[in-house]
Amino acid sequence: MKKKAAARQQQDFNRRDFLKGSSFATLMAMLGGVELRAQAQDSKPEEKEPTFTVKCGVIGLGARGREIVSTLARLNQADIAAVCDKYPAFMKRGANLAPKAKPLDDYRKILDDKEIKAVLIATPTHQHKDIVKEAFQAGKHVYCEAPLAHTIEDARVIAHAARGAKKQVFHAGLQMRSDPQRHFLLPFIRSGALGNVAMARAQWHKKQSWRAAAPTPERERELNWRLRSETSTGIMGEIGVHQLDMASLFLNSRPISVTGFGSLIQWADGRDVPDTVQTVIEYPGGVRLIYHATLANSFDSDYEIYYGSDAAVMLRENKAWMFKEVDAPLLGWEVYARKDTFYKETGIALVANATKLAAQGEKPVEEAPFTGTPLSYALESFLTNCNEISNAVDDFAASFNVNDKAAFDKYISEIRMEPYATWRDGYGATVVAIKANEAVIKGQKITFQNDWFELG
Amino acid sequence: MKQIRFLKWGLGLVLWVAISAFAADTLHFESRPGSKVKVEGSSTVHDWAVESLAIKGFMDVPANFAKDPAGAAKNIKAEVTIPVRSLKSDKSAMNNIMWEAMKMKEHPNIEYKLLELTPKSGATQGSAQFEAKGTLTVSGVTRTNVMPVTIEKVDDTKAKVTGTTGVKMTEFGIKPPAPTVGLGFIKTYDDVKITVQWLTEQAPAAAKTADAAK
Repeated sequence: MKKKAAARQQQDFNRRDFLKGSSFATLMAMLGGVELRAQAQDSKPEEKEPTFTVKCGVIGLGARGREIVSTLARLNQADIAAVCDKYPAFMKRGANLAPKAKPLDDYRKILDDKEIKAVLIATPTHQHKDIVKEAFQAGKHVYCEAPLAHTIEDARVIAHAARGAKKQVFHAGLQMRSDPQRHFLLPFIRSGALGNVAMARAQWHKKQSWRAAAPTPERERELNWRLRSETSTGIMGEIGVHQLDMASLFLNSRPISVTGFGSLIQWADGRDVPDTVQTVIEYPGGVRLIYHATLANSFDSDYEIYYGSDAAVMLRENKAWMFKEVDAPLLGWEVYARKDTFYKETGIALVANATKLAAQGEKPVEEAPFTGTPLSYALESFLTNCNEISNAVDDFAASFNVNDKAAFDKYISEIRMEPYATWRDGYGATVVAIKANEAVIKGQKITFQNDWFELG
Repeated sequence: MKQIRFLKWGLGLVLWVAISAFAADTLHFESRPGSKVKVEGSSTVHDWAVESLAIKGFMDVPANFAKDPAGAAKNIKAEVTIPVRSLKSDKSAMNNIMWEAMKMKEHPNIEYKLLELTPKSGATQGSAQFEAKGTLTVSGVTRTNVMPVTIEKVDDTKAKVTGTTGVKMTEFGIKPPAPTVGLGFIKTYDDVKITVQWLTEQAPAAAKTADAAK
């Protein structure tokens, strides 16, 4: 049981496991000096019929909702049956991306459709709670964008509903938790390859107003919900939630406190949320993450860096590099790994699968082998898990003619799932983001209380 | 010591069936959660295993089992169905390869039907060990199978049937998969071991209660 639970989330790592994967590659490299390459991309895998499809509906067709629709449209496991937005222009734009889907103006119509098994919710954050609750009541699997809610109370309601829905899947939209490149790096970082982790830094820089034009004042207010503090968790909540969650995952602990600062520098257009934020998030052992995000400048975009006594690792989009200290021990394989120059520094490319010498292509691989977006991996995991759980529920019902809740819960807990952000991950990340935003607004330090993370 | 323990189990089983037999001519047992089937094999790279927690089936035991275990055992009926899709590996990439090799779309279930159960260790002692002869259907191909099984009493109403048998994939028309993964060195071997742990509970023959999962 314990073993199963560990395999289920694949979150227990050690240095030996990581080295086991790399030793064969090292040996091969030492023998012939061949360059380590990721899986060959030359021959396209033949298009196979999907082993399953999941009928799904997308609720909320703003920019994020449309990104979800277009990503689903490229996944052959997805059968987009309906798309929904109460604003006609958005509904039309969403429907254009999925011509076979029914365009609907009320999410309840999706929930009433018995054929639709899964819903993906990308409405404004403050509208998530009621839709998630009703979706569970309607028996749907649920993918809910992060942050889960704009208040801890709402997030708790969502987490409660998800925890109780044993026959349904709940994925929090922390898509980087499904990203194979991050899963490749997780054991590397957690196994101590960086030496003593001293600190971390992450940023998100974009020059954009976040304000969208609308034909009427009412629509303008509705559309620009991110710019009002009563409905928005600001940059810390809407963007920072993902990067702070990754830091907690890589540093393997929940933060202790957050100190924040916020200013309205560039877009003083009546909004009451800062467009520039800086926070210091403290983790156990004196490790601090400095996080800054702005809508005023786009230099150097977004990335995360973890600094250790032996090396620093930078994660950027679907790539990562290691910058070693001169006195750091030799790992072996990095001698042959691809190097990239960043001004006066040399970054050793950390490429998933390369250290396992999964395959040798004809040309050196310049790109990371995982070319999908984190969102596409997350949605693929979601659809796979929906199928797994639905099948398991049906198999249980067909095999065991009993009404034994405890036995069912045990049985379903042993079903292996693809990596994803659970309700617990989503709730925890939402609490951290909401409190970080509060620290920014108040310009003060907030110490995290354990009971904020408990559901009761 | 081993012999004493064995006798205790054997006698306990006979006594249990004898007491239960007052109620009906046939004792009807149905599958319960806690059942598990494991299929293990090997390959040129590593050993592999797949598991299912979903076993559907029943076992009908004649009421005269206590008086005449040897005679009654021959009349025990048992049928088991395992959905192929519920067989899973810890490595998800392997599942599709296996399901495809087993032609899951055409043949979604593995089926077993008991033909004959022969007590292995002396009828008078009410042995808990048997030799089970049955038909095993995989990928639409049916073969006769002989497997030693043990029937254990778990509590007043539950019995557990355990057994292990070896089969070859090619017997059932399954070509041992050789997936093109990595350097393409992987080739699975023909021999596989099937281990069954089937938990059953005595239930009224016609009972159809609501399930937990509906």
